[in-house]
Amino acid sequence: MTATRLVFDAAAALAILFACVMVVHRNPVKSVLALVVSFFALAVAYVLLAAPLIAAIQVIVYAGAILVLFLFVLMLLNVPEEGRQGSSRPIHQVLSGAAILVFGAALLALLRSHGATRAEPAAFSAAGPSDVATTSRLLFSEHLLSFEALSVLLLAALVGAFALARREDQA
Amino acid sequence: MIAGGIPLGDVLLASGALFVIGLVGALLRRNAITIFLSIELMMNGANLAVLGYAAALNSVEGQVVVFFVIAIAAAEAAVGLAIFVALFRHTETIDVNRINLLKW
Repeated sequence: MTATRLVFDAAAALAILFACVMVVHRNPVKSVLALVVSFFALAVAYVLLAAPLIAAIQVIVYAGAILVLFLFVLMLLNVPEEGRQGSSRPIHQVLSGAAILVFGAALLALLRSHGATRAEPAAFSAAGPSDVATTSRLLFSEHLLSFEALSVLLLAALVGAFALARREDQA
Repeated sequence: MIAGGIPLGDVLLASGALFVIGLVGALLRRNAITIFLSIELMMNGANLAVLGYAAALNSVEGQVVVFFVIAIAAAEAAVGLAIFVALFRHTETIDVNRINLLKW
């Protein structure tokens, strides 16, 4: 087991642990804070997967902007903690049980196939297409149209969010 | 297939675990904001799988896809939270079991 793999597994385990904390915690503010930790751990995993630009965006946009927006709205609304009474619908419980079963089956299949096919550790080119310049060049050449469409989408979301959240009597 | 000394299986396992945790959260929780957080977690699970394959195939294309996903998630979060604010102003709750205005 290489050091890179060890660090990746630790980061992934941390992300999964805090994701579980996020799902089971009754206080929504603590849920958001647990998700921030989970996303930071995921950013570490992204760096190890040779995606430093995405890791930076993960920290700045996801943990920094989106989750702070969630926290902002939570504190604005003063949402109470979820009570114990009145559980979720039976169909939802069945579906989530099925999802866990499918994941367990996939895990079992992976563990069983692990001994059979042992992949050779291929040399990973550190100077390969992993730096920010290469990603940005691809983003601004081949995907330029999508990029510009994205800016229009963000503008539309901005206007839409403003129109939705505005008080009616100020119209 | 190996991505920088990391087996692709590890990446896919972590990605699947995050996705399933998000799915269970989205199905079982009743607080609308926690459901929304769970959906963000599912998106991150998918992003991790995309980046794992991008690293395994030594390609940058996957990073561009994840970039777009994150930007769209930002737009979605802004609009979704605005809907919750408007909803809370009307009904004084964001419990999804009590929001049944559009239910037939």
